Amino acid sequence: MKKLILPFLLALFALPFESFAQTEADRIVGVWEPSNGKARVKIEKIGTKYFGKIVWLKEPNDPETGKPKVDKNNPDESLRNVPLKGYRLLKDFSHKSGNEWDGGTIYDPENGSTYDCTITMKDANTLDIRGYIGISAFGRTDVWKRLAVGGAK
Amino acid sequence: MVLLRFTLLTLCMPASLLIAQPDSTVVEEEDYSMYDNLGFADAGAKRYCTSKVFDLSPQKLISIGYDFQGPYSLEEPDGSKSQFDFSHGERLQFNIPVLSRNDIIIQLNVNHAAQRYSGTADSASVLGRNLLERGLRTTGLGTTIFKPLNEKHFILFQGSADLSGDYALDQWQPLSFLRYSAAAIFGWKKHDRLMYGFGLSRTYRVGEMNYIPVFLYNYTAPNRKWGAEVLFPARAHYRRTYNSRNILLLGYELEGQSYRLNNSQTYQYRSNTLIPNASNVAVLNPDLRRGELRIRAMYEFSLKNFIWLSLQAGFRYNYSFQVDNVPAEFFRGFFGNQPYAMENVLGHTFYTMVSLNLVSP
Repeated sequence: MKKLILPFLLALFALPFESFAQTEADRIVGVWEPSNGKARVKIEKIGTKYFGKIVWLKEPNDPETGKPKVDKNNPDESLRNVPLKGYRLLKDFSHKSGNEWDGGTIYDPENGSTYDCTITMKDANTLDIRGYIGISAFGRTDVWKRLAVGGAK
Repeated sequence: MVLLRFTLLTLCMPASLLIAQPDSTVVEEEDYSMYDNLGFADAGAKRYCTSKVFDLSPQKLISIGYDFQGPYSLEEPDGSKSQFDFSHGERLQFNIPVLSRNDIIIQLNVNHAAQRYSGTADSASVLGRNLLERGLRTTGLGTTIFKPLNEKHFILFQGSADLSGDYALDQWQPLSFLRYSAAAIFGWKKHDRLMYGFGLSRTYRVGEMNYIPVFLYNYTAPNRKWGAEVLFPARAHYRRTYNSRNILLLGYELEGQSYRLNNSQTYQYRSNTLIPNASNVAVLNPDLRRGELRIRAMYEFSLKNFIWLSLQAGFRYNYSFQVDNVPAEFFRGFFGNQPYAMENVLGHTFYTMVSLNLVSP
């Protein structure tokens, strides 16, 4: 019985620390706007990882068809009719430490390309989203701003 | 026993959550109207325009190319001739993002291009013999800066220092022969399919140093099947987009440099004895003013992911292949009347170029 009490107590003491780590990691959760202002992305936690989906488009309809925009540049033909609104373009991010989330990818619907990606939280309302090819030097950083109800337009 | 079960459950929970993770592309129904009326949480946040329009041909981070020109001739002022069976050489480009943010993009550009000549030349043809023996080479270092001012306006700056001449890689020219080019443009980003701007450049694209106005125009049609990529007068292309990984470009590029030729003794002899209207003027500091117009078709496509192949073919029209005696750089411009030390006639020819490229996100 004593052997069973020890792991239980350890788990019990670890809870507050885990809870703190969760809170720190979850700061990324929210609605963000990429620098071009053409979309809004909601980052949420699913399981142990973080994902971001498009929840708003400045131009929701395709000017050519008049219908809601779809992922027509996707290299996988079977996904070209998937609506962009609701599309998860950030995938599989884990909280690395401090202000950094990595291990994920970002998808660019404009050209159908997927890039390796790291996310750095510069401050509570600013994310540096760096998409790159293989090594971080060959990449581009986009700055995303947090959105809130009643925020500045 | 109950405790044991609890402990095992606790330990197993993260794994089960991981396994239960959904397919990340699955679309979930949600009331998206709730996101319509959001604003910046940070009151000081600002939006900026981007440096591209939709479907612009991808920018090359690394480019390894090979250029091949067909047969053509060279005639020097005394009538001596050279016949080149072909000329060819490698072309390397590195465009490394140093700072890439939405409020500024700074790139470092490194380029190297060589041209070697194969053929025959009359014994009196000093320039032709020099080209056959030594070829031409350009190595340059530069920067490109894109500075968006807001959602609609931007400034684009390009600057480079190039060492061009008939030097070998193990026998570089002194850096005092560096030639500096620059361009500054103020532009408007009207929407995601159109950006344009006006500016001024100092350039060697026509062979000699020149100051000319420049016009930037990048456009993509509403159906996104075609567009235009123009930096006039340096280059202008019509773009046909088959899909995001296959594009065809039709147009032209002006290409040129001022090459320092180091074979001064030979040129001195030649100048003193053979060049009409240039008697007693020793060409002690010969600079070859090479400027050419490349009318071309380029097909660019993705081999795999970000590895692209570019196939290019066209006609190389010679604009200038004159030699100046340049103790110090001077400005002739389009309307200057300073005579050249050697006025040569270079033939036109067909050319082809292939390059393997790592393109930018």
